[in-house]
Amino acid sequence: MSLAARRARYVLRRLVQAVPVVLAIVVINFFLLQLAEGDAVDVLAGEAGSATPEYMAELRQKFGLDQPLIVQLAVYMKNMLTFDLGYSFRHDMPVAELVLDRLVPTLLLMVCTILVAVGFGIVLGLLAAAGLNTWRDNLISVFALVSYATPLFWVGLMMIVVFALNLGWFPTSGMENIAAFHEGWARVRDIAHHLVMPVTTLSLFYLALYTRLMRASMLEQASMDYVTTARAKGLTERRIVFVHILRNALLPVLTMAGVQIGALIGGSVIVESVFAWPGLGMLAFEALFARDLNLLLGIFLLSALLVVAINLVIDLAYSFLDPRIEVG
Amino acid sequence: MAAATIALSTQAHAQEQGGTMVLIAQPEPPTLASYLSTSGPIGLVAPKIYNGLLDYDLELNPVGELAKSFEVSEDGLTVTFELEEGVTWHDGEPFTSEDVAFSIMEVLKQYHPRGPNSFKEVSSIDTPDEHTAVFNLERPAPYMIRAFASYESPIVPKHLLEGTDIREADLANNPVGTGPFKFVEWKKGQYIRLDRNENYWKEGLPLLDRIVARVIPDASTRTAAMENGEVHYGAFGAIPNVDVVRLRESEDIGVTTDGYAMINPMALIEVAVTEPPFDDRAVRQAISFALDRQFLIDNIWFGYGKPATSALSSNYDPLGLYVATENYPDAPDLDKAKALLDEAGLEPDANGVRATAVLDLIPYGEDWRRAGEYMKQALGDLGIELELRYEDVPTWLKRVYADYDFTLNVNYFYQLPDPVIGVHRHYGTDQIREGTPFVNSTRYSDPEVDELLARGATAADAAERATIYHELQSKLAEDLPVINLFEMEFLTVYSERLKDHTLSAMGAYGSFERAYLEE
Repeated sequence: MSLAARRARYVLRRLVQAVPVVLAIVVINFFLLQLAEGDAVDVLAGEAGSATPEYMAELRQKFGLDQPLIVQLAVYMKNMLTFDLGYSFRHDMPVAELVLDRLVPTLLLMVCTILVAVGFGIVLGLLAAAGLNTWRDNLISVFALVSYATPLFWVGLMMIVVFALNLGWFPTSGMENIAAFHEGWARVRDIAHHLVMPVTTLSLFYLALYTRLMRASMLEQASMDYVTTARAKGLTERRIVFVHILRNALLPVLTMAGVQIGALIGGSVIVESVFAWPGLGMLAFEALFARDLNLLLGIFLLSALLVVAINLVIDLAYSFLDPRIEVG
Repeated sequence: MAAATIALSTQAHAQEQGGTMVLIAQPEPPTLASYLSTSGPIGLVAPKIYNGLLDYDLELNPVGELAKSFEVSEDGLTVTFELEEGVTWHDGEPFTSEDVAFSIMEVLKQYHPRGPNSFKEVSSIDTPDEHTAVFNLERPAPYMIRAFASYESPIVPKHLLEGTDIREADLANNPVGTGPFKFVEWKKGQYIRLDRNENYWKEGLPLLDRIVARVIPDASTRTAAMENGEVHYGAFGAIPNVDVVRLRESEDIGVTTDGYAMINPMALIEVAVTEPPFDDRAVRQAISFALDRQFLIDNIWFGYGKPATSALSSNYDPLGLYVATENYPDAPDLDKAKALLDEAGLEPDANGVRATAVLDLIPYGEDWRRAGEYMKQALGDLGIELELRYEDVPTWLKRVYADYDFTLNVNYFYQLPDPVIGVHRHYGTDQIREGTPFVNSTRYSDPEVDELLARGATAADAAERATIYHELQSKLAEDLPVINLFEMEFLTVYSERLKDHTLSAMGAYGSFERAYLEE
């Protein structure tokens, strides 16, 4: 069987395997969320200031909250199998619409953060390993330690104080300038401008992790036999580092990135909140406090799908980086 | 000053037109269905889109909006509204008295959280012609005339709602009103955009081209955005008091406590009157004597607030309803408090502890936690040992209003423009409604009070009403099922470029039709 056909079959099998995993995630989440006290009607009535008991009973009936749990779950699963994520009664909108609306800003923030964090992490780790125990190595290690240890919200607020309030380089928050309503390229530039501070803040944390990992990984690989062999063959130091060591050293970093993307969706709540970025994390956070269970389940489902998809991509990337790793 | 303002306003009129005003809507409103929910963030946006029949000036006097004028009959049983002519909905349909009758009878009276109470006495609405609406009442309802603002009772389009399920109508997310601004777009999590209604029925208004309501979850970022001039207006404590103290020094930023008289928020402690030893009113009185209300205001709310002196807010004074009562001391009196506890038979044990209880705190921000810490200290000196509990909103609501699983609960209530709408729900026996938030959770029940409440709701004569409410207040000061703490003062923080934003008692819940941005 050709390599391409093997890869296609592998992808297909992984996708089929993902179905029960995703279903299990939905069921577990469904029951977990039931453990929270109070329901969506309590919150709606609480916000409204006052409500009659009849009104609340009527709402519960309309939302299906008066049904036994197992019936509620069955209804939800049935809808899900027809790709219907249900309805958010709080927002008076279909869940799919709400979630997809936030997906683009979330992916924008997530992808930029991963690229910046992994990219710079690799470069810094490489530089640190290449100049082991020199001032450069020390400087990078201290930087990594400090940025890892600093709370995200504090970094975010300090960025706002320095770069938005004092220097005026960037807007404090939001995804675009809403007083202006730019169109076309002006809008793209505007969004990029708004993206700088949240991406920097969120990357700093992950950057530190990848730097440390890359440095350690490079050092480990450098002591391997194949490096000695390469040197004996008379290859240039440059070629040894960039072609031989680097490719092997990247594997752990990649694994880490794959695992962390899932965490990144949830972990960006703080950054989304500080910079008023309209992402999924914030939506989930608000949905939890509003007990908007349909919406929360929708977000969990989407996150689960994203994690499954990204891990599959990472696994495929392995086999490109290291042809000895076979898929199938 | 007055002369200069008049000269300026005629001269600057041409420059007043135009501009985009950005206000903070926090938290993000769930929908824009102000006819279904009185949720605060909805109130920030919806009244720009919908008109009410009336508005209220800063002295709480009704002024015409969709209603040119109104007339209450001698016996108080009919109220006739004369409506504006030439008003159209944003979709071009004409506005008529049919819309008014439909909005009150079919929407607000059925589905609005407070509507069933506000319009309880309205049996029918006649529409003799397109511009007259006649409300027929079962009994006089003097409080009703204060419930016609756009925030409280928006007039909604009959032609878009009739025959639909009102609660699921598309109108909730695509509002169509008669107001100064039209709904354009809602990017969830980011902003709601409203544009100038070119065909607004009030000549030459509104002045702004656009209002954008922005969502900024983090309080510090809201402050930074205000400092940076990215937003022009934040009400209801959108900018925390701790930051206001700094911002108010700036020349570009103004702060006002105006525009909350119709809301009338009161901070308080609800006491479960069934729980010993708090079932003894002497113990509740002791708590009232032990607390330093001014200390709370000065140290936690940075001086914004006014110590409570009665069950009613002093904002009811212009209506003649308010009176200061006993058991609300000017300064804490620990000796008196201890004497009351001794009298109640609560002797201190070897450690000086007379009673223990859990104090639940309203989960609406850090200020309340700090207030709880103060009370733990203050009541600890008295020998009442408190444990603080701070939960998330749904858990807390369920505990206090559905399960009654609490003893002392720190909370705040909107007393609203009339006691019938805002205060009765706290004390009436018929307001002990298991599972309904923000009603009588203390389970206080007293036939004398019930009778006073019933009479207060229907007394048409102002002097008679005043007597009834004065009597009620002294009775409630004696029993203290709810220990009022202080009349809260919410803060509106605004850019000095933004003018004429707080012209009515509705404040942030107003239409902003006359607001403008100075260059």
